[in-house]
Amino acid sequence: MTKKNSIGTQKIVAVLALVLLYLFFSIFGNNFFQYSTFISILDSSYYIGFMAIGVTFVITTGGMDLSIGTVCICCSLLGGTLFKAGVPMPFALCITILIGLLFGLANGLMVSVMRLPSFIASLGTMMVSRGLGSIITKTASVTFPQAENSGAWFRNIFKFKAAGLPAAGIPTGFILLIALAILMAVIMNKTRPGRYLLAMGSNKEAARLSGVNIVKWETFAYIISGGFAALAGISYAAVYSTLMPGTGNGFELDAIAGVVIGGTSLSGGNGSISGTLIGIFIMSVLKTGLPFVGLQPHYQLLITGIVLIGAVFADVLNKRKRK
Amino acid sequence: MKKKILSVVLSMAMIAAIAAGCGRAEGTTTESGDSKAPTSEGAAVKTGDLSIEIVAKGFQHDFWKAVKLGAEKAGTELGATVNFVGPKDESAVAEQVEQINNAINKRPTAICLAALDTEAVLGALSEAAQANIPIIGFDSGVPGADSIVANASTNNYAAGQLAADKMYEIIKDKVTDSAEPVRIGVVSQDATSQSIGERTGGFVDRMVELIGADKASVEGHDKYNKTIKDAKVIIEIGIPATVEDAACVTVANTLLNKSDLIAIYGSNEFAAKNIVTANESLQKLGSDKVIGVGFDSGSIQLQAVKDGILAGSITQDPVQIGYQAVTMAVKAASGENVKDVDTGCLWYTADNMQDEAIAPCLYE
Repeated sequence: MTKKNSIGTQKIVAVLALVLLYLFFSIFGNNFFQYSTFISILDSSYYIGFMAIGVTFVITTGGMDLSIGTVCICCSLLGGTLFKAGVPMPFALCITILIGLLFGLANGLMVSVMRLPSFIASLGTMMVSRGLGSIITKTASVTFPQAENSGAWFRNIFKFKAAGLPAAGIPTGFILLIALAILMAVIMNKTRPGRYLLAMGSNKEAARLSGVNIVKWETFAYIISGGFAALAGISYAAVYSTLMPGTGNGFELDAIAGVVIGGTSLSGGNGSISGTLIGIFIMSVLKTGLPFVGLQPHYQLLITGIVLIGAVFADVLNKRKRK
Repeated sequence: MKKKILSVVLSMAMIAAIAAGCGRAEGTTTESGDSKAPTSEGAAVKTGDLSIEIVAKGFQHDFWKAVKLGAEKAGTELGATVNFVGPKDESAVAEQVEQINNAINKRPTAICLAALDTEAVLGALSEAAQANIPIIGFDSGVPGADSIVANASTNNYAAGQLAADKMYEIIKDKVTDSAEPVRIGVVSQDATSQSIGERTGGFVDRMVELIGADKASVEGHDKYNKTIKDAKVIIEIGIPATVEDAACVTVANTLLNKSDLIAIYGSNEFAAKNIVTANESLQKLGSDKVIGVGFDSGSIQLQAVKDGILAGSITQDPVQIGYQAVTMAVKAASGENVKDVDTGCLWYTADNMQDEAIAPCLYE
């Protein structure tokens, strides 16, 4: 009961903040309130959004996955390199996801079997994936096909463009993001594995004593996180075309900030996928909207920081009151 | 309890925000009315207020600050609102793509762009074309994209020629009245980059022209070689094996150690800096010794010019780049035909470094 309510409060705050922000920019920003700007907001939130959904699972178990940002770029770099080497796009995309799952598996085994602190294990994977991306590409940037070129169809997964449709395209990526969010929310809240993860996050020892296979389900959480990071990489390639090796650092912090703003506690035991999405959209509305009211995007950091602290503080206050 | 208070506070905040919004909107009703009209996929606002969005390759570096300065100057003169943005560094392709998309969504009169990566911005360029927003390239522009109206950039070949002119003024006596053959050294960062090739080539061609084609022999690299027997002047080009300071210092050392060397030119910041570094132990450069000429700025090179170690250097004119880009953007938006503009370059020495026209172009 308590838990549910605490998520509830924070989520209301988050939804209100999102609506207020959008209204604010629509009123004060010239040309903010239009379809193509809306698409821009969505475009800039896909990769962080997918990463955030995945990492919510890890955070729910009380763990942390710092590697998602660089894994996202690394998987995409490898997929793009394979495509350039002649692998057909569908296979290249599948391998991209597979690499992400493998990174997740590695993280999971290090945490659950080798008993490394998740912070350290994923810090290691972060460096490994960043280095690997640079090695495989020989530090050259990778460009994904676009327009009429073969293989460019994969962009339609995230933005469907065709004659007769609005020039800015149909945000199919948003539909995918929401569909996956619903699926993952159901898994987290309505299925046994989800319950196991929540139970582990609340009290790992108690969960183990009640017969939950900790090794298996903890690893499962990291695999999900890795897979979503790879999907994030594909969406990144679809939106931004060119990937630079050695980048991706810092994406994970944006994703984690979104998770926290959305009401998931970093100490584990609760998790809200819908909250996570709201958190992500708050950040991308800020990022896209601020230039419309004449502020440089750096202000996004400042304001997001304040929103983050405010959201968590509201949660802390709420919990304290209940005690 | 808590929740109630919270929701009350929030709804109040919301109402306040909306009220504030309405309040301010009233004052500028006509304006916001106008600007919202093109929402329906219309052309850019051309009635009265001109707005130019500038997306650079950075914003923190002094070079971009100088571009911004020039852009704002042009904006003030032409009555255009100028908004300057740039990503945090040259690897932040995604950040720049978002900035370009934002710029297009703002439906400005025109956009000036220096793209980090052509491929990454192609989608945005076609959207701009659909929305009838002309795009002007500046600095390195958008190589390979045909939808760019025109570019405002440095003519690097001409800049190299200016370096040769200025050096020739100083060494004229030595190259014309010399009994023994003399040598001019050229340090070039690499043989692949187009801009560096032009700066080196412009210098070499011009120097040969000034000395006389039958008197000057060009040696040292296949790309530039034009050997002549018994030439009075040897122009020797040194290109380091790798783009690393140590490799470049070795090349500079070799040139500086030649006893017949009378002058040396470094065709970019990297080359000039390493000539100065090599000279620290050799002490060959100076107004009565070997004449050094550099290119661009940077703290080491600026100090060397100030101390008289280098006779002077060529700098691009970032203020002009910004100024011309905005001027061209305004012209393009009003339907005028615009062509590529050479934004020029400047020769700076210890004497004129502080000048109003030059100081903003120099960066640490």
